[in-house]
Amino acid sequence: MHIPDAFIPIWQGAIYWLIALVFIALALRWVRNEMNEEKLPLLAVLAAGVFALQAFNIPVTMGTSGHLVGGALVAIALGSPFAAIIVLSLVLIVQGVLFGDGGITVMGANIINMGVIGGFVGYYGYHGLMRLTKSMYASAAGAAWLACLIPALAASVELFVAGTFPLVPGMISMGLYHALIGVIEALITAVVLALIASSRPDILDKSVGVPT
Amino acid sequence: MISKMGFVVGGIVLALVIGAAAVFFASGDPDGLDSTALIVQGQKELTQPANPDAEVDEASLPGSFEYEAPFPDYTVEGASKLTDVALMVGGIFLALVVVLGLGFGIKKIGRSDTP
Repeated sequence: MHIPDAFIPIWQGAIYWLIALVFIALALRWVRNEMNEEKLPLLAVLAAGVFALQAFNIPVTMGTSGHLVGGALVAIALGSPFAAIIVLSLVLIVQGVLFGDGGITVMGANIINMGVIGGFVGYYGYHGLMRLTKSMYASAAGAAWLACLIPALAASVELFVAGTFPLVPGMISMGLYHALIGVIEALITAVVLALIASSRPDILDKSVGVPT
Repeated sequence: MISKMGFVVGGIVLALVIGAAAVFFASGDPDGLDSTALIVQGQKELTQPANPDAEVDEASLPGSFEYEAPFPDYTVEGASKLTDVALMVGGIFLALVVVLGLGFGIKKIGRSDTP
């Protein structure tokens, strides 16, 4: 769901950038206060993994493909939505500047959708579902699915405001495709969390609930 | 439990394998956003694939900013698959390094702030 420059007028892109910068500032403060030399490597390895997985488009039928976004994964693993904001912002900068994947003037909107909304929905979705299901992997999968679908719906609203998509057909189409892409998001998020939990459970945030 | 170094190296290797595999196996079908744009422009139906040549007509869209990335779509014109893999590897390491650099940079500034 990387929005290209052509999809949103520059002035609207500037507004999204301003909002994104507020969250980036908060996320930088989180890094300063919460990150330590034990956890920083996990943040960096997840950024590398998210970059690779975002390049891996998988067909989801109907002539459409999709890939992991990763906001939920990063937020759950590091125990904060701000982790997702930092990782997704930096990954989006590398993708946009070097590889033309996602625009420059619209990067603020992409950071809000995938980093901010993806991170918050992933983190709070996980903890809400954990209370209901008590299953780490079911909760991670459910939260990840929501953290793919809801940012896509947010993007369709932004693109309606931009005059690029009509509201209802845009939401139906974005919602349908990302409900399917969300299954990829759910599976990969659960598998990567399982991999980390089995190799270095101590490195996951305590809020994840893995016994160490 | 594996060592911390083992975890980092293992994670990077896994990312590199996934990235390299993406060069060969990633689907070329439009993503959810492009598919929606194609539907809006009458080039695709919701549940049917678009014509393989279909492209989003950006000229009719409201954004006027243009930027030419050095490696659009993770490739360069006439590049071999090997070059594409190298670009992917470069992107993966850059993502790793910017996060590490920013993290350690902020921690360093944070430390020098506090007497």
